[in-house]
Amino acid sequence: MARLGMVIDLKRCIGCNACTLACKQETGTPEGMHYARVITREVGMYPAVKRTFLPVLCNHCDDAPCAQVCPSGATWIRADGLVMVDREKCIGCRACAVACPYMNRHFIERGLLQHGYSSDGLSPYEAIKFADFEEGTMSKCTLCAHRVDQGLEPACVVTCPTEARIFGDLEPENGKLQLLIRERGGWTLLPECNTKPSVYYLDE
Amino acid sequence: MTTQSIAIAPHRFAFGYYRQAWWNWLIGAAFFCGGLGAGLFLISLLTRHALGMLVGYLIVVVGKNTAHLLYLGRPERFWRAAMRPDRSWIARGIWASGLFGVSGLLLLLPYWLGPAWQLPPGIEPAVSAVAIVSALFIMFYDGFVMNTSPAIPFWHTKLLPVLVLMYAALGGTTLALTIRELRGGGGAVLDYLHHEEHILLTTNFLLLSFYLLRMLRWAPAARETARLWLKGPYARVFFGLVLLVGLLATLLLSLVHDRVQATWLVALIAACEMTGDFALLMILLKSGLFAPQTAKAYVQGR
Repeated sequence: MARLGMVIDLKRCIGCNACTLACKQETGTPEGMHYARVITREVGMYPAVKRTFLPVLCNHCDDAPCAQVCPSGATWIRADGLVMVDREKCIGCRACAVACPYMNRHFIERGLLQHGYSSDGLSPYEAIKFADFEEGTMSKCTLCAHRVDQGLEPACVVTCPTEARIFGDLEPENGKLQLLIRERGGWTLLPECNTKPSVYYLDE
Repeated sequence: MTTQSIAIAPHRFAFGYYRQAWWNWLIGAAFFCGGLGAGLFLISLLTRHALGMLVGYLIVVVGKNTAHLLYLGRPERFWRAAMRPDRSWIARGIWASGLFGVSGLLLLLPYWLGPAWQLPPGIEPAVSAVAIVSALFIMFYDGFVMNTSPAIPFWHTKLLPVLVLMYAALGGTTLALTIRELRGGGGAVLDYLHHEEHILLTTNFLLLSFYLLRMLRWAPAARETARLWLKGPYARVFFGLVLLVGLLATLLLSLVHDRVQATWLVALIAACEMTGDFALLMILLKSGLFAPQTAKAYVQGR
């Protein structure tokens, strides 16, 4: 069985946030919600200062704490490893948000879907996209499951201008993802949390 | 760069520690009511005090559950929270609350509606056992709700359920004492409860100190939270309300009360203890920090 995941090459990332925007355009998340984002950090002392970028998204953990703590069973893991939320079952307790070490769960507050980015009501685009959300429930990155199911890659992957994101199956030992991870010493975020993320990073 | 120089991130696009912002005062109120009410009910049941049982029962069934319902994003679906007791402590808590609601009511009915509602002798011990176990569960399960995930290192310790349980026992004992004294009761039970309260106040002080010392040697995010408690923005709440009012003032007033019998003093002791109890839960919730989003900085800090 496949285990979908991603490798992000930090050597290639230029911090342009195209992934952030592509994700917002694809998923139509309301104001203040970002499934994909780039964490920016300044390292060093003047004059030897550099800015580093860390693109983050849901890690679709194999041992996802968000799924373990969900009391209603709204958070579930697909056979291909994608962590999903069934909004019909979600009660909005936010236990998953507290449990996710990567802070990639998003709560849709009451009233959030009543206004778009412009001040007056919803744009036609927002009116269509906001139908995918429900106030008082949790939402998260699905690694563009709706695209993946059609044989396409996630929006953040196809948009990345430097091709820093490589999407695929983590399962095959000699697959492109596993080869990259082995050859370039791929690592995951917060390994001490033992969540077994499906998003790896390369910086060597 | 060392972990000491990592600040709290102002937003999610910045690097640093991230504040826990989801569980707010309503969750704090629910945890507070759960611990206090279940503790009071349990102590009153064991010492056969009907009014204490009733007050404890109402604090849990009305107070705790109302706070939880007000907090939920979709309160009309609250029943779904009971669906996964196999893996979720929240679901287990819902089951315990349900069992507590039924068993507590069955035990309370004879006191208020008359002996006709008395349970058959063969059933009453079983119902009492269910009430005791479920009340005990409600007293500590919040600790497991918080400590299960590794996301917030300050909570991710086995000490947390113990701390929550001990504070629930302290709150229950103090309120049981208050109700008994205000009703004009006395005797050996009061002396026993006073003694128990003094022991719990001392134990909780030691436990809290040990907890903080442990956190100062825990993961960097836990150390940062401990620093916020001791020197940062939560220091006034921690030293002022949790330690000074919640433990020290409660203990001193309780010792004074052994010599000076006064109704206002009894009420003041209860108010002090509950203030400290609630303040502790609130800073536990509000000061929880997520670790910075990287592997390497985290490893450096260890």
